[in-house]
Amino acid sequence: MTPDVFLFWFLALLIIGSGLAVLLFTNPIYSALSLAMTMVGVAAIFITLQAFFIAGVQLIVYAGAVMVLFVMVLMLFDIKAEIQAFSSGKISGAIKLISVGLLSGLIVGGIIMSQKSFVGEMTKDAVHLAEVQKLKKSNSPDASTKELGMVLFSKHIFGFEALGVLLTVIAVGTVALARSRGGTHHAK
Amino acid sequence: MQNNVFTDISLNHYLVLSSILFVIGMAGVLLRRNVIVILMSVELMLNAVNISFIAFSKYTQNVDGQIMVFFVMTIAAAEAAVGLALAVTIFKRFKEVNIKFFEHLRG
Repeated sequence: MTPDVFLFWFLALLIIGSGLAVLLFTNPIYSALSLAMTMVGVAAIFITLQAFFIAGVQLIVYAGAVMVLFVMVLMLFDIKAEIQAFSSGKISGAIKLISVGLLSGLIVGGIIMSQKSFVGEMTKDAVHLAEVQKLKKSNSPDASTKELGMVLFSKHIFGFEALGVLLTVIAVGTVALARSRGGTHHAK
Repeated sequence: MQNNVFTDISLNHYLVLSSILFVIGMAGVLLRRNVIVILMSVELMLNAVNISFIAFSKYTQNVDGQIMVFFVMTIAAAEAAVGLALAVTIFKRFKEVNIKFFEHLRG
């Protein structure tokens, strides 16, 4: 067993275990900590897939900013362990679990059925082959980040700008929402 | 020679991991009642999607998948901010974050 293989299985178990912990802990603070652990595991998976820049962004944005936001709001609410953490109704709960299990079975089945076709065809493509050659030459982390920047600021520049506008709208909207008293009726 | 499932990590392994994480997140959204835990489960689902984007990007040697992950992450952060602001507003109004207590939102 090579280190790569061990790393994958270790991280997969870590991610799935802490993901389940988010679902199963009744105290939301523990859920938030498990979520942070999941985010760190996902960042490590990104590193094993040679997406170094995205792994860094994942750590900063998710494990840093978003988790701080969650924990801060939880502290603001001062919630103890909940009385009714899960939705009631054994039958509806069973139906939900069954449908979720069916979905996962369908996805995994679909992935395994389509095993042979996809990657082979993609790399057979002549255009892609050229890109593969180019990327293989520049396989250092530095080069892949540079490539990412080049594509982001040329091919996807419109999306990038639209994201900037979206973030401005979100920032203003969030402040307006959090300042409002909540609800339009029963005004004092 | 037959590939060994445990020692040859392929694209499928990452896709299956991603789908399992997605399904865990979906179960969280369906089963939990705390608004904040539901938002956390949504984040789990978005992360699962990110894993499969990055895996495809690696195995087809195409950077576009990473760009898409970048966009998804930004939008997820924005979504978390708006969702938590809504949760704060709801908490101020109802003194409760359990969705059982505000099934009848009237404005």
